[in-house]
Amino acid sequence: MSLYTRRRIVNAINLGFAVATTVFGLFWLVWLLWTLLENGLPWFNLHVFTQNTPPPGSSGGLLNAIVGSLIMTGMGVLIGTPIGVLAGTYLSEFGRASRLAPVVRFVNDILLSAPSIIIGVFIYEVMVIRMGHFSAWAGSVALALIILPVVVRTTEDMLRLVPDTMREAAAALGAPQWKVISRVVYRAARAGMLTGVMLGLARISGETAPLLFTALNNQFFSSNMNRPIANLPVVIFQFAMSPYEDWHHLAWAGALLITFSILLLNILARILLRSRTS
Amino acid sequence: MKSSMQNDASGPRSKDNAGAAPAPDESPQVSIDPVLARSRQQDRAAPVKISVRNLNFYYGKLHALKDINLDIPENRVTAFIGPSGCGKSTLLRVFNRIYEMYPGHRAEGEVILDGRNVLSREQPLSQIRAKVGMVFQKPTPFPMSVYDNIAFGVKMYERLPRRDLDERVEWALRKAALWDEVKDKLHYSGTELSGGQQQRLCIARGIAVKPEVLLLDEPASALDPISTLKIEELINELKSDYTIVVVTHNMQQAARVSDYTTFMYLGELIEYGETSQIFTKPSNQATEDYITGRYG
Amino acid sequence: MNLVPTINTDKPHTGLRRGAWLDRLFRGATQLSALLVFGSVAGILIALFVGALPSLKKFGFGFLFSSQWNPVTEMFGAKVAIFGTLTTSAIALLIAVPVSFGIALFITELAPKWLKRPIGTAIELLAAIPSIIYGMWGLFVFVPLFADHVQPWISEHIGSWPLIGSLFVGPPMGIGVFTAGLILAIMVIPFIASVMRDVFDIVPPVLKESAYGLGATTWEVMWNVVLPYTRSGVVGGIMLGLGRALGETMAVTFVIGNAQRISTSLFMPGSTISSTLANEFTEAVGEMYTSSLIELGLILFLITFLVLALARLLLMRLSAQAGRSN
Repeated sequence: MSLYTRRRIVNAINLGFAVATTVFGLFWLVWLLWTLLENGLPWFNLHVFTQNTPPPGSSGGLLNAIVGSLIMTGMGVLIGTPIGVLAGTYLSEFGRASRLAPVVRFVNDILLSAPSIIIGVFIYEVMVIRMGHFSAWAGSVALALIILPVVVRTTEDMLRLVPDTMREAAAALGAPQWKVISRVVYRAARAGMLTGVMLGLARISGETAPLLFTALNNQFFSSNMNRPIANLPVVIFQFAMSPYEDWHHLAWAGALLITFSILLLNILARILLRSRTS
Repeated sequence: MKSSMQNDASGPRSKDNAGAAPAPDESPQVSIDPVLARSRQQDRAAPVKISVRNLNFYYGKLHALKDINLDIPENRVTAFIGPSGCGKSTLLRVFNRIYEMYPGHRAEGEVILDGRNVLSREQPLSQIRAKVGMVFQKPTPFPMSVYDNIAFGVKMYERLPRRDLDERVEWALRKAALWDEVKDKLHYSGTELSGGQQQRLCIARGIAVKPEVLLLDEPASALDPISTLKIEELINELKSDYTIVVVTHNMQQAARVSDYTTFMYLGELIEYGETSQIFTKPSNQATEDYITGRYG
Repeated sequence: MNLVPTINTDKPHTGLRRGAWLDRLFRGATQLSALLVFGSVAGILIALFVGALPSLKKFGFGFLFSSQWNPVTEMFGAKVAIFGTLTTSAIALLIAVPVSFGIALFITELAPKWLKRPIGTAIELLAAIPSIIYGMWGLFVFVPLFADHVQPWISEHIGSWPLIGSLFVGPPMGIGVFTAGLILAIMVIPFIASVMRDVFDIVPPVLKESAYGLGATTWEVMWNVVLPYTRSGVVGGIMLGLGRALGETMAVTFVIGNAQRISTSLFMPGSTISSTLANEFTEAVGEMYTSSLIELGLILFLITFLVLALARLLLMRLSAQAGRSN
């Protein structure tokens, strides 16, 4: 066999490998989504949205869990986003020559990659123990800590994309720096910043570990921020690990709900970003 | 008010007075309308609007402007020309201290506008920028409607009722020769206009706050020839109300548009004087070389 | 020249002083927020350390090497959990790295233009799926299939091989270290693949063209030109994926079996730091128990911190290298 033929065979094999791995990757995605649909769809009905979580052995819904998740993710976004935007603004607008900025950037990356269960342990230590009980507040703050670095990163990246000439044009008209940033630069970057928040929201919607030790769970409907609150991920965890059929069904329905909401958020965020930057 | 320009009965001020008048048959390639040239020469009594004294500028350690001394006459168009990197944009950007946005950029010396040193620490930036407007090379409409673009600057300095604001916006757009094209499109985003329109929008935006000086940094270099022509016509009309300084790398444009020209090279001011004289009888060899296209 | 100072009084300069004050306020707010980010991470470190103090004092360094885990006698050691964390992550990387490379190769070189974006998006959606979903799918769908069809086959055929055979013996329960590693691999593939794809994309086309021009095959260009060129970025991306795998909790908790022991076989159950925390934290009674769990958390945080710092360093080196060659 000539060298040339040998090379071509090696090439074909490896390219075939590349195709195979792509199929491999897509295969799992399809299988996962199919599983969700297969197991979740039959049990995905109106009850899920109108009834609370049932005791074992009876049927019910996920209302309290859905509401609890909405409350906590909403709170998490409300707390984490403003701080994240401001910190990202600092890194992009004020931190160009400062020594604090690279440190904050690095530390932000650490927070971004920190295992979410560690965040849960941290909030447990500083909030749950202090307050003496689990609470929706603790859960919200934990989620805020998870979305914070995402918003910081995307805000900084998006603000940096705004050309300096736009800042100069506003400054040349006499605008003070805070106006340059808030009226002009933020406006120019707002699509990207919104996308960052949406992607962060998608991420915290599915987080279970940090809620295990902070918000815990609640059998009943509650919107009391000072008490443990039901939430989808922990309910799914509890129901899935249990031996009860009814609970399993609800767990799948909940899994379906969470997953497709998150996928939808992701796709919407991408569309938003693409439409504004084209 | 005594003007330093009145001393120049003999001809353009030049850095190198060892004199290198071009030989009679070596006239530069740029043509000047003789009527215009004569009328400009008679224009001796223009008072000085901005006076630059011993200006040095540094980008960090790089000494970018070296001992600049220059007078900008009021209600005239002054052009800064020179090859890339000569410092003409740098000099322009000193006039409204826009360089202060960047750490490490620093200016030493004096830039006197209406008797006050622009560079002094006590001079609030907003006041300077209220008087000195700037238009940049690349059109930079803000991400808002045409109306809001113009209103942006106005709202910073004045509290106008809606009707007066509308009038000001219209006035600015008319002055910038853009009104007819956008009067039905005031709510359109500034970014939806064509390149030439965007640049005129930026000029309107700068005019709307009623400055006294307009700094134009290569205002037409990113535009097509027709838009360029419109911008040049605009400059000609505006000069009766404003003191205009234009940076351009296009010598023909400088010759068409300006009353006075300043030639710079490697951070130094080589020669400045009336445009007609700079382009017909430059007193410095370097100037002549640049004008005749031998380099740059 | 007239030296009488004049200020243009045509327009009232409203709020010029207020503007300066607002500037300071705004800048201060951004600085405060940046410090808050810094403070959060510092706070995490401190809180973990304080919480782990009793356990640190009692067990000292031996904690890392002891495989005891007895809540009754209050004797704890991290060896089992650390071993589980490292093994599952290692398996995950072993599978994920070549697969991610193949996917990145496919997307950048082989896929037709119209296919590039959809496939890229699809792979990224794998990353968006929450880990609890992976856990449920893993436990209820994958594990039974694996236990019934795949595992016996592997045990039978590879189990008898010398050396590595012992890695694959055990009752066909489906759960275990291997399953956890496999699912981790699937979760981590999108991260590594997208970093690889990004760094492959910034290879200057002239570099590839000159190789192709010499008659190299696509594979040869990738292996001999693109990969060495993007070496730092690729390793950085791998470490990012590693960091993710190390901290992953829910998916692992569902399928690893949660046994506090180290076995030689990958098909046996085990524990990771995060699965131990998830399972035992809320039920831990006693200061020593809780404190040991927190110490586990501290160890995990420090491991991920180290991996991340290394990844950052390597990615910085890549951008410096790319900057230089420009």
